[in-house]
Formats: sequence, C-alpha cells, structure tokens
Amino acid sequence: MYPFEGLFSLLVLSLVLETQALTPTHHLTTTDVARLQAVLSQPFTDLKSAYYSVVGLSKLGIFVADADETCRFINSNLDPSSVESLFYAAEASQALSGCEIPVSNDTRDLLLATVSEDSTASQIHQSVSALSALGLPLASQEVVSALKARISKEDNVLAIILALQTASRLSQQAELGEILEEIEDLAARLDDLGGVYLQFEEGLEATALFVSAAYSLSDHVDMEPPLKEDQVIQLVNSIFSKKSWDSLSEAFSVASAAASLSNNRFHVPVIVSAQGPAAVSHSHPFLQLQVTDVLCQPLSSASVLVESASAVASKSAILNQAPFTLRDGVFELNFMASQPASGYYQFSVAITGDSRFVANHVELKVKVSTRVAINNMDLSVVDKDQSIGPKTTRVEYPTKAKASFMADSHQNFAMTFQLVDETTGVELTPHQTFVRLHNQKTGQEVVFVAEPDSKNLYKFELDTAERKTEFDSISGTYALYLMVGDATLENPILWNVADVVLKFLDEEAPGTIQAKTLYVPKPEIQHLFREPEKKPPTVVSNAFTALVLSPFLLLLILWFKLGANISNFTLSPSTILFHIGHAAMLGLMYVYWTHLNMFQTLKYLAIIGSLTFLAGNRMLAQKAVKRIAAEQSSRLAKYRSLR
Amino acid sequence: MSNSVISVISRFLEEYASSTPNKLKVIDAYLLYIMMTGALQFLYCLLVGTFPFNSFLSGFISCVGSFILAVCLRIQINPQNKGEFLSISPERAFADFLFAHTVLHLVVINFIG
Repeated sequence: MYPFEGLFSLLVLSLVLETQALTPTHHLTTTDVARLQAVLSQPFTDLKSAYYSVVGLSKLGIFVADADETCRFINSNLDPSSVESLFYAAEASQALSGCEIPVSNDTRDLLLATVSEDSTASQIHQSVSALSALGLPLASQEVVSALKARISKEDNVLAIILALQTASRLSQQAELGEILEEIEDLAARLDDLGGVYLQFEEGLEATALFVSAAYSLSDHVDMEPPLKEDQVIQLVNSIFSKKSWDSLSEAFSVASAAASLSNNRFHVPVIVSAQGPAAVSHSHPFLQLQVTDVLCQPLSSASVLVESASAVASKSAILNQAPFTLRDGVFELNFMASQPASGYYQFSVAITGDSRFVANHVELKVKVSTRVAINNMDLSVVDKDQSIGPKTTRVEYPTKAKASFMADSHQNFAMTFQLVDETTGVELTPHQTFVRLHNQKTGQEVVFVAEPDSKNLYKFELDTAERKTEFDSISGTYALYLMVGDATLENPILWNVADVVLKFLDEEAPGTIQAKTLYVPKPEIQHLFREPEKKPPTVVSNAFTALVLSPFLLLLILWFKLGANISNFTLSPSTILFHIGHAAMLGLMYVYWTHLNMFQTLKYLAIIGSLTFLAGNRMLAQKAVKRIAAEQSSRLAKYRSLR
Repeated sequence: MSNSVISVISRFLEEYASSTPNKLKVIDAYLLYIMMTGALQFLYCLLVGTFPFNSFLSGFISCVGSFILAVCLRIQINPQNKGEFLSISPERAFADFLFAHTVLHLVVINFIG
C-alpha cells in the first residue's frame, strides 16, 4: 500500500513541479561548515562522543590532530564485552590512520552472536559495522535474513535506517533487493511541509541519517535511489535549515548527510549564490557567482552558462547562452560589456558538467546600477501675466545659485532640469524626484514632486498664490533642495540649488507659528446615552387608570339591575375545583406579567389548565343534565296543559 | 326625519327590553363594559400619546378580543339560533369561551410588557 501511494504522490509531485524546478532555499555557508567542524572538534569525554567527533570530522574531510592520543583514549575506554563500545571503538579507529584495536576470539564470537533475529536492529547494525571495521569475516546472508526479520518486527523509521546502513557493509553478492526497497518506503513516509521541506516527524537527525544511509546503500549496490530531484532539494532544505545543533549526535548526522550529498554516484545538489549583492555597475562590472556543493566546496567540473537574461521591465532579452569564466574558484561574467540600461534583470543560469548535478537551473535577479547626472538646471521667475519675460539662471551641480530668487503672488517660480545616466547620457526617470523648500527660521518644510514630461524633461512650477496653504502664508526665505533617489542609483542626490524668497499677502499669515500638533490628546468624546422617552405626568396616568377601570362599576350595577345572581351555585367538588382552578389561572397571568417567562407560564398553565378543564367539564356536564331535565319537564308540563 | 329615527330607536329599545332573555341581557351588559373600556383606552392614546405603544396595543387588543369572544358566546347561546348550532350546547359554548379567553390573556400578558 505504501509503495503505491508513494509512486502516485511522486507522479503528482513531478507533474506539478515539472514547470518550476526547486532550488535550495537553505544551505550551509562556509561559516556554518566551520561551526559544524568546531562542534565536532570539541574535546570528547567518552567513547561515544569520541566516535561522533572522529568519524564526523572524517566525513567532512578533516583528520584529528593527534591521532595517537585519540587512539590511546579509545583503547583505554574500550569495553570488550559491550557490542556498542566495540562499535564506537572500531569505527573511530578505522577513521584514524594507524590505529589498531586488539581483537580476541571472544570479541569476535560476541559480535557474531549478536547477528540474529533476537537482537534489535541497532545491535545488529553495531555488530556488523564493528566486524567490517575490524576486518573480521561475516556471513552476509545471515545478516540479511536477521535484518528482514527485524524490519518486520520493528517498523519504526530509525530501525529501518540502521538496517540500510548495515546493508551497505555487506557483500555485494548478498540479496539486498528487499532492503533496497525500504528506501522507497521510507521516502513515502517523509512529511512534505509546504513543498519546501521534506522530513521525518522523528526530526532532523532521522532525516539526515536517512539521507546518508540511502546514498551509502545505493552507492554500494550501484543503483540510483528512488528519490526525485525535487525531493532531494527538499531534503537539503530540511537538513541544512538548522545552523546550530543541539547535540553531538545531531551534528554528526548533519555531517554524514552533507558528506553523502556532496560525494555520491547519483545526486549532487548544486548551491549557487552570488558573491555579495547580485548587482553590477560601471565600477563593478563583473557578476560573480559561487557554485558549490552542499559542503561549500567549489565544483571543479562545473561550467556555468547564462541561458537567458532579460530586463524585468521591458522583457527584452539582453544575453543568450553566455558562459561564465572561472577565476579563483568564483565564476564571473562581465555583464556591463553588454551595456545594459540601469534596472533589474532576470537571469536564468544553468550549471552543467556532471550528470549528477541536481537543481542546476537557477533564476537570479541582477540589478544594474548607474550614476545620475543633472543637466540643464534652469531656474526662473515668471510673471503670471507674462508681461515681463522670464529670466533664466542656469545652475551647475553641486554649486548653489548666487542670487536668491524673489517670488510673490503675481509671479511663478519655475525649475526645469534633466536627469541622465552619467556614462551613457541616456535619460533617466528615477522613482524619487522631490523639491523641498525649507524655511530656516521657522523650521517649516514643504515637499513637492517634480514630474517629467513626455521628453523626460523635469519641470517644477511653484504658483505662490495657489500654494499658500501649504506654506501657511508665511513669507520668508526658503532654501530649495532637489532630492533624487532610486534603487538603481549609486549616487542619490540632495542638492541645495538656491534660496527662494516667497512673499505672501501679510494679512493671511497666522499671528504665531504653531508646530503642527498631531500627537496631542484629542478632546474626549462624551457618550450620549439614549434619552428615555418623555412620559406623561403621573397624575394624568393615574386619572386615566381610574377612568378605564370605572366601566367595571357600571357593569356590576347593570348586572345587579338585571337580576343576575349566583343562586344556581351548586357546592359540588367539581364546581369548587373549577372556580379555584380558574382563579388560579388568572392569578398565573398576573404572576406571568411580573415574574415568569413564557416557558414557565406554559408549564404551570398546562397543569392548572388541565385540572380546571376536567373540573369544568364535569361541572358543565352536570349543568347540562339539569338543563335538559328542566326543559323536558317544562315541555311535559306544556304538553299536559295542552291536553 | 328625526322623528322616525327616534321612534325607531324607542321601538327597538322596547322590543329589546321585552323579548330578550335575561341571560342575553347579562352578556350585553358585559359587551357594553368591554366596549367602554376599549374606548377609554383609545381616548387616552389620542390625548396623551402612544408611549408605551406595546402596552396600549395589548390592552386594546384584549378589549377587542374579549368583545368578539363574548359576541360569539351570545350568538351560540341564543335559543333563536338553536337551529344553526345543533351540535354545540350552551355549556360547550361557554367552555369554548373560557378556553379562547385563556389563550387571549396569555398573548395579552406577554405583549403588555
């Protein structure tokens, strides 16, 4: 069931990600690798930490300084009766050159005896590794059957990883096919997080150990592991996203994974990063890229090529199939030689040279910066009615105009200039071109935007009368600054061009100049609660209550006059019960008005009502009987009288 | 013109006083009481105002409902209508009257607020 699911998900994954290849978002930099080495180089306290340090460093290609000292340490801490101790010692001594562990027959027998179905996968792994590290013979087929039995019994991820590691130590003639299939099963168990990470829920260590075990077994049997390129990149992201490691075993697992990913027969992930910011300019015309493997070692056999480079804004292609040249371990390309205009460019880079390369197509965004120059800065004061011709003063950057300009409500102050690329002379339109007027006495500052016209000539006009609200009608000398800025400009400009004396009509100026109070407490808002409705005076209400109740008196009087009486009142139990029940119902109505809600009332009403109904039914039936009897007797009397 | 109106009214009153059974007169007095109560409530509403409106509505509807139920009772009890209400005895009519009143009062008290 798992392989099928795994295959299906791989198919879907490959279909989905076919269009965009993943590139690693996390990788180890040289400082990270140095930190990893430092962690593994810590002085070891016991045999286990010695194993991690020595073997871990050997995977990174570093050999321990004093091998003899370490060898002595290993030998003194070795416990020949423990398989685990033998494992650490054997592996560590193999990594050191010229370190021998004395092996006795008992040791060998102990190790061989551990290879059975009754030991755990971890024990089998340790004994087989120790046997192979010490150069002792072992029966591969026995190991295979023991491993298969253990895998089916202990179905957890770590056991299977250890089985994979063990299998990579066995003879190539042994039947490792079933164990090889476990790689695919394990790969299906990885959790895909957001399409970026792929890791076991058991954590980083398990994922890293899986990678190193899978590749060592695959290399051993010379069969490509069933991991897709994107899965490999996602594994790289997961394993190398953590840059500081909690324990020695975690650091060891990361080092093993890094070693196997940088040097195996099938997949070598390529890490491409720009040296410094990916920006070129006339002063730095070379785009420099570092192309390394996961251990930050430069790839010697790689050749880097720009497949296409196009401007982001205009989408016009600048480069096609341009190669990078390798110099001092860094690949560089003189992009300025193609004379690109300033802006952003999208590069598509391919790294070839080895069929094992994974993630060898990279997209980069490169910025081309330039220096801006201001040409033809002309300042003038124009009369509104155009009666006097404008006097234009040209100012050169970065000097300031000698005379200050006067403008009052009848005149406009105008400024025109051009912004060009310093080297090519091409007109530029940077994102920020502001004109700032600063009143030095009051500290007021007003900023305007200068807009370019269709010929990319910037114009700024200040109509004194129209803009008086921005200035609060405060006359005085204002220093005029031009501010030019953009992400692709190397030299942003803040230039005090001239002083402008503005005269506003005096009566509009405020008496005192107040700083804009934006951040003071605002007046408190009083919440207006809903006014209760106006009620009529109590006297009126009371009077009308009495008035409305008065017809009742009238009713009683009328009934008395008509002769209504209760002489027919029988004192039978049903009658009394009926009247009590009826009175109770009316009382319940009053209680409902004052205390209860509908549900409670209905409950009580049901009880009282049913009692009243039964009693009333009885009572009315009795009355009916009496009435019918009376009618019959009167009819009989009439009949008799007629006869 | 007014003469004939007065004579019609006085003749009507005479007929009423003589030929209506006492039971019906009792119910008629009750009807008059209900009508006056309703009219006075309405007068209050006109003069003073509709606050609180829900109370006015429930009181007024109580009067209207009671009036209607009493009229029904009167129709059903009237011996001259016996032919139309063969299956409904006067006691049954009274029981219906009481049950309908219970429901009416439940609604009125709920709405009176």
